[in-house]
Amino acid sequence: MHARDMSACDISHGVRTKRFSAEEVFDASLDRIRAFEPKIHALLSVTEERGRCTARAVDDAVQEGRDPGPLCGVPVVLKDNMTTRGAPTTCGSKILGSWKPPYDATVVRLLEEAGSVIVGKANMDEFAMGSSTEFSAFGPTANPWDTDRVPGGSSGGSAASVSAGYVPLALGSDTGGSIRQPASFCGLYGLKPTYGHVSRYGLVAFASSLDQIGVFTRYASDLALALSVIGVEDAKDMTSSRRARPEYMSQAQSDDMRGMRIGLVAELAKAPVDADVRSVFDATAKKCEQLGAEIREVSLPTVLEYGVPCYYILAPAEASSNLARFDGVRYGMSLGEDSLLDRYVETRGAGFGDEVKRRILTGTYVLSSGYYDAYYLVAQKVRRRITMEFAKAFEGLDAILLPTAPTPAFKKGEFSDDPIRMYMADIFTLPVNLAGLPGLSLNAGFSREGLPIGMQFIGPKWGDATLLRLASTLERTFGPCRCAPVEEVKGA
Amino acid sequence: MAVTERDVRHVAQLARLEVKDAELPSLMRHFDGILAHFHRLNELDLSEIDPFDAAAWELTPWRADEAVDAGIRDEALREAPERKGDFFRVPRILEED
Repeated sequence: MHARDMSACDISHGVRTKRFSAEEVFDASLDRIRAFEPKIHALLSVTEERGRCTARAVDDAVQEGRDPGPLCGVPVVLKDNMTTRGAPTTCGSKILGSWKPPYDATVVRLLEEAGSVIVGKANMDEFAMGSSTEFSAFGPTANPWDTDRVPGGSSGGSAASVSAGYVPLALGSDTGGSIRQPASFCGLYGLKPTYGHVSRYGLVAFASSLDQIGVFTRYASDLALALSVIGVEDAKDMTSSRRARPEYMSQAQSDDMRGMRIGLVAELAKAPVDADVRSVFDATAKKCEQLGAEIREVSLPTVLEYGVPCYYILAPAEASSNLARFDGVRYGMSLGEDSLLDRYVETRGAGFGDEVKRRILTGTYVLSSGYYDAYYLVAQKVRRRITMEFAKAFEGLDAILLPTAPTPAFKKGEFSDDPIRMYMADIFTLPVNLAGLPGLSLNAGFSREGLPIGMQFIGPKWGDATLLRLASTLERTFGPCRCAPVEEVKGA
Repeated sequence: MAVTERDVRHVAQLARLEVKDAELPSLMRHFDGILAHFHRLNELDLSEIDPFDAAAWELTPWRADEAVDAGIRDEALREAPERKGDFFRVPRILEED
């Protein structure tokens, strides 16, 4: 098998059994990055020194008969909003300048302790605000299936890295769909775990009541492996749950859906969905039924109709306070000499891009005196209603099936004049964050133009294991996700 | 109710964000668009809903309030745009009259 197509599980096994070394895997990953980055631009930095050092340590451990951990020698890419000690962490923004964080994010520590090798930091929409990775201050990432199209966002660089075969595993963050939607656009698995499942210590905050770290893979078993490693309790994140996590690897062995109750949302019929997406959706529902699942209809009127406006009040409100820390005083870009106020205003004016400014201003507006009750408070109530609607639906269901996004990957620049229209691309994903639920996107088919189409399974709170079981069962029908044919891909 | 130039400038000032004159028209358009979208929420009857029902969220775990030395003071200070000894240095805060 070509190194590019190997799963994290295969690599880990191969390194442990000395079929190949972690350093050889690392070099193969670097070769691929060098070959395709000029076309794809998935990465903002390559952590060659740190990665080689870890790879050699893993190889030494194997030689000495020690177990380097379940991700033994597995190369990974991190979204560039996760801190890496001594290595640039930009969040896709100019405002962080050449900032080198003095500490590692908890997920980074957990990955390395499990034997994983960090290869690079991935491009993203600035501060994770966007659905296309076009809002990166360092230029857009191309979709490896068609480089004229976006990879989705905001974790577009992470998705493109796995899709182009640089690595079998990448981490992203998902505040409103930022893992699931790029997974759909790039033909991958993308898992957003239950809120509180994975520590966010060292993840630069966007909207703290919604943010969650998750993973991109091409194999269902790799999702289970990665979640087992990163999904542990962490005292450094006060939202990290103390609940005992189930054993996930056995879910990856599942091959039927008997006894599973899967809900189809009645209101989907009225939603604006591309014809190809709709036919993949219908085929997926039918496949679940053939595999033994019981299909039920469920009504979620608030979720689909009011999720988008609710989210675009709450997320910018939280962002406006989280991003107040970028003030030109302690790190990063610093402008304005005359007074402290000038320092704030000029640094932030020059350092933030247009979309981040729009969201900070929107968030400040909805929280400002005289508007709080009309916007923020109303949106909080709608959020509660959405949460209750999901909870009621899950009284009779194990999972809900929805498309991940209304369309396949769109063209670069398609929404550049109309950010609000792009917000609608998140209609199926962001209610999941509002309710704190787990969501998983998997590649379920292709459009007539050959673009990947993802379907999303939503679970009840702490139903992550159910989603892994569904993914692995469907993998036996659909096969694992393929790398994009990036060698012969069309586009510039 | 259309958002005025004054509204945008006021919000920008609250957000400590420089907004150039050339940016104003597109920001005003954005506000008009997004607020119209937000107003759709008023179609819902929300009178029975408690927005901050804490029982809905898992209890946040408590931990002891103990200071821990992360041992990164020098590394953190090294990132300061301006420093004086072990302090971050900033321009003057108080205006002279």
